[in-house]
Amino acid sequence: MRPLDPRLLRHARAARGYVALTAALGVLTAALVVAQALLLAHTLGAAVSDGATLTVLGPWIAWLAAVVLVRALVTAVQERFAHRAAARTVGELREQVVAHAVALGPRWLASGEGPSVVTLATRGLDALEPYFVRYLPQLVLAATVTPGVLLVVLGLDWVSAAILLVVLPLVPIFMVLVGRLTQGRSEQGLASMQRLGAQVLDLLAGLPTLRAHGRERGPGARVRQLGDAHRLATMGTLRIAFLSGMVLELLTTLSVALVAVGIGLRLVEGDLDLVTGIAVLVLAPEVFLPLRQVGVQFHAAADGVAAAGRAFEVLETPVAAAGTTTAPDLRTATLRLDGVSVAGTPHELDLVLRPGTVVALTGPSGVGKTTALEVVLGLLRPDAGRASIEGVDLADVDPSSLWAQVTWLPQRPVLEPGTIAQLVGGDEASRVTAAALTGLDAVLADLPLGWATPLGRGGEGLSLGQRQRVALTRTLLSPTPLVVLDEPTAHLDAAGEQVVLDTVRALRDAGRTVLLVAHRPSLVAAADDVVRVRAAAEVPA
Amino acid sequence: MTRGTLRRAIRLLDIDPRRLALALLLGTLALGCGVALAAVSAWLIARASQMPPVLQLSVATVAVRAFGIGRGVLRYLERLVSHDVALRGMTQLRTTLYERLATARPEALLRLRRGDLLARVGADVDTVGDVVVRGLLPAGVATLLGAGTVLAMCAFWLPAGLALAGCLLLAGVAAPLVAARAARTTERLALASRADMTATALGLLDDSGPLRVGGRATDELAALRDADRRLAAATDAGAGAAALAAGLGQLAVGIAVLVALVTGVPAVGAGLLSPVELAVVVLTPLAAFEATAMLPAAAIQVQRSRAAAARILALLDAPAAPTPTDCGPADPPLVAVDLAAGWPGAPAVVEGLDLDLHAGRSVAIVGPSGTGKTTTLLTLAGLLPRRDGSLTLGGRDVDQLSRTTVVGAVVVGTEDAHVFGTTVLENLRVARGDVTEADAVAVLARVGLDGWLAGLPDGLDTLLGPDARTVSGGERRRLLVARALLSPAELLLLDEPAEHLDPDRADALVTDLLADPRGVVVVTHRLTPLGAADEVLWLEDGRIRARGTHAELTASTPGYRESLDRERADQDREAERAR
Repeated sequence: MRPLDPRLLRHARAARGYVALTAALGVLTAALVVAQALLLAHTLGAAVSDGATLTVLGPWIAWLAAVVLVRALVTAVQERFAHRAAARTVGELREQVVAHAVALGPRWLASGEGPSVVTLATRGLDALEPYFVRYLPQLVLAATVTPGVLLVVLGLDWVSAAILLVVLPLVPIFMVLVGRLTQGRSEQGLASMQRLGAQVLDLLAGLPTLRAHGRERGPGARVRQLGDAHRLATMGTLRIAFLSGMVLELLTTLSVALVAVGIGLRLVEGDLDLVTGIAVLVLAPEVFLPLRQVGVQFHAAADGVAAAGRAFEVLETPVAAAGTTTAPDLRTATLRLDGVSVAGTPHELDLVLRPGTVVALTGPSGVGKTTALEVVLGLLRPDAGRASIEGVDLADVDPSSLWAQVTWLPQRPVLEPGTIAQLVGGDEASRVTAAALTGLDAVLADLPLGWATPLGRGGEGLSLGQRQRVALTRTLLSPTPLVVLDEPTAHLDAAGEQVVLDTVRALRDAGRTVLLVAHRPSLVAAADDVVRVRAAAEVPA
Repeated sequence: MTRGTLRRAIRLLDIDPRRLALALLLGTLALGCGVALAAVSAWLIARASQMPPVLQLSVATVAVRAFGIGRGVLRYLERLVSHDVALRGMTQLRTTLYERLATARPEALLRLRRGDLLARVGADVDTVGDVVVRGLLPAGVATLLGAGTVLAMCAFWLPAGLALAGCLLLAGVAAPLVAARAARTTERLALASRADMTATALGLLDDSGPLRVGGRATDELAALRDADRRLAAATDAGAGAAALAAGLGQLAVGIAVLVALVTGVPAVGAGLLSPVELAVVVLTPLAAFEATAMLPAAAIQVQRSRAAAARILALLDAPAAPTPTDCGPADPPLVAVDLAAGWPGAPAVVEGLDLDLHAGRSVAIVGPSGTGKTTTLLTLAGLLPRRDGSLTLGGRDVDQLSRTTVVGAVVVGTEDAHVFGTTVLENLRVARGDVTEADAVAVLARVGLDGWLAGLPDGLDTLLGPDARTVSGGERRRLLVARALLSPAELLLLDEPAEHLDPDRADALVTDLLADPRGVVVVTHRLTPLGAADEVLWLEDGRIRARGTHAELTASTPGYRESLDRERADQDREAERAR
């Protein structure tokens, strides 16, 4: 794991200022640690060996108190801004990841790494918080306090410095060594842990089924068995994983002990004065403290770094450059697909969409009808074949100029929050006419607020069929020349089917072009042209 | 959520007190070694500066090294013991949870399938278990160690000991309380904006295409940015208190040292304290705060665990199924008279159902979707309490009979039944433990899955599961039908067995099921194959609108006939197009 990924600074503005602040506070902390040790050593040394009185030591103690106060303040400031930086950085990365994923398109989102972006954006990036709040400050301290204090110790007593210097590089070396030894075992252990955990959840999830078959009693013992196996596997892993922690503690504590014993013996010989001795004794543990903290926070931070790494992978996935040519006017221009294939579904699809006609796409489910719509809409580039408007390749068309001419009603209607009137658009008279046609009027009659009924995100508050009617009405009132309907009858009963038929007819009467995916024969019959979509496998037939 | 919540949940972990005590002892000794190391080192150096004979220092030099080693080793042992305790507790809690749910009222269980409850259970059990290692133990260790250190300090110099006690309370009680409060504030303030953020992000990712084409992607991204800004503001609101907690922890160490110094120096002058003791009294506090430094995180963990415990206890408190009062055997027929079915707490969806089911009789229930057909099946199987009317098995009230008796006679195959993450064969053995490979192959062939089975990499030993891509919707449904068919029960209730199949194969399957020698109820929305049923019930608006044979209904019920005609016309058109 990279301790600090430079991409983090590049992509997140909030992270930059925070890292700078943490670095500054890190240097300040190093100075304060040294000052505190020296002041304490001087005060205590004078009191122990010379019997100095409080009056003599007063100014020193006052300085010590000041240093203590400033250290507390620095700690508080660090904590204060760590939380803020974490929240802002997560927000910035989230927005970029979501924006980039949206630009990569629905196909990318549905395949490969795509689905994991949802988890990454909503929960995964939160793992950056422990990284920012706990890990990064300690990492900076390991880079400021550890060498700074070591230098001071070197100046005070080179023998102690030598002991610390010998042990210091052993810390990361042993960590890596133990890490290497345990890695294979841990991964194995982790995999078995996850498997066992999943099995228990599987049994819980299947409890209603077990119960329907009267077999719910037996698995209780199985849950315990799985739990015990889980514990044994985990403990096997932990026995080794905790070794690295023990080696670290042994090395650091033992070297501090050796420093103390060394100082004691040289004090007896008279080779060292007490003030220096106390200063070195107080400073010695400070050399290792940040390193130990880095070790403690490592695992929590690793999750954050991994999440950030995944975010950067998403951000570095290239988006196909959008075209720049303004789309021809679809009121007069013909959109064509010639031999378009996308990963076998659809396969070699030909489609001609003349202005003012109704074209139906049919075929069994899974054959690529929705994919074909995405090609027509310029959301997806075909693997083979060509999509064009009046000879202009869709890849060269500025998508926004195309989308401005299209209304798309996907299988599950997408409604933003707002009142039904706002969602549907149009003036009152046209709204009422359109609602009568789509059956929205019957829905409105049941709503006490009628047109002013507010809907939540995704049409919350209405059934799927009712949302479909809202979406159909909106489609009817939209001014675009091309209307794309993906299985508009999916959530509707027989009466709803008639509504869709009427809507499609009304659209055609208004001179608009309609491309629809249809299953029901009545809807297919209403089309001027029917295109059967095929998958690669069924072409020879 | 009350204060007793966590205590109850911890009791459910059934922690072995001896193991916990051992962990506590090891943890205290480990950190105690650190404190002792600092104290003995201080004594060693101060005494050495007085240049005594080296022999006088030998015990101290050995002790310092021993404490240096002891700390690491004891801490290692403590971590092993405490994690073992926690994992044992989690197993116990999981088993209890499973056993309670297995005997809870069936509807509580069915509800569990809805929503994300189940997904959370695993994480919640872990979070409750974590309270041992990350909450209770650090608190216990800090208390024991703090008390020990304070007592030892008091023995040297009372004012320094008292000051240390105060500072330990500041760092170990006040700071954690403030930190926990800060975390709670943030969580409370962030709740709404976090939900907004999640919904907006999900919406953008789920509907990226429609949003871009509709020109609304930019607006939604702005909404996401806004939600994140509010989230950051909520974090800011709690960050001040978190900063205070961190500062207090740091300040406490300094104050303890300063008080020891300010009170100790005059005491040395007055001869109340030896100079060597002064060094011990001043330097020991520097190492005494390691245990309390972990407590703010521990307090936050306790809070998290408490929230998880509340969710788990809510599951555990699901009302248990009433104990059966009739332990006698009961065999078909299953007779329903004027039965009403519905989810508890919701209006009945089906009323006035009369049914007499015995071996050799086949009944089809048909009607538009969403008319409560599945609910009816669950009620007939005794898995949902009936709303009204009577339901008897062999003349005995189903509600009074034990589940074992009922399930021995009636088995329901619901559409959302679970496919377990195990082999095909084991999935079929859920119905009956002694299903042989030959039985399995035969029943899979019967439901038309022989081709699918032949294509599986390991045949009957192929692993399935929620994540396995080997099962499509239609295959899954037929696997569940096959499982129900293997059940030894004499009566089968099947929910839409032929969904996701093309019409011809769907009709063949339903015809075959209706011809089964057992008593069969099939819920279906296709009417064409129902000539094979002894009786068809036509459900509309929650009532049986018509019942009779397929031929009778076709002749007498206009709605039935129209649906049948539409089905046939669709099929003809499809066939024509295929040509």
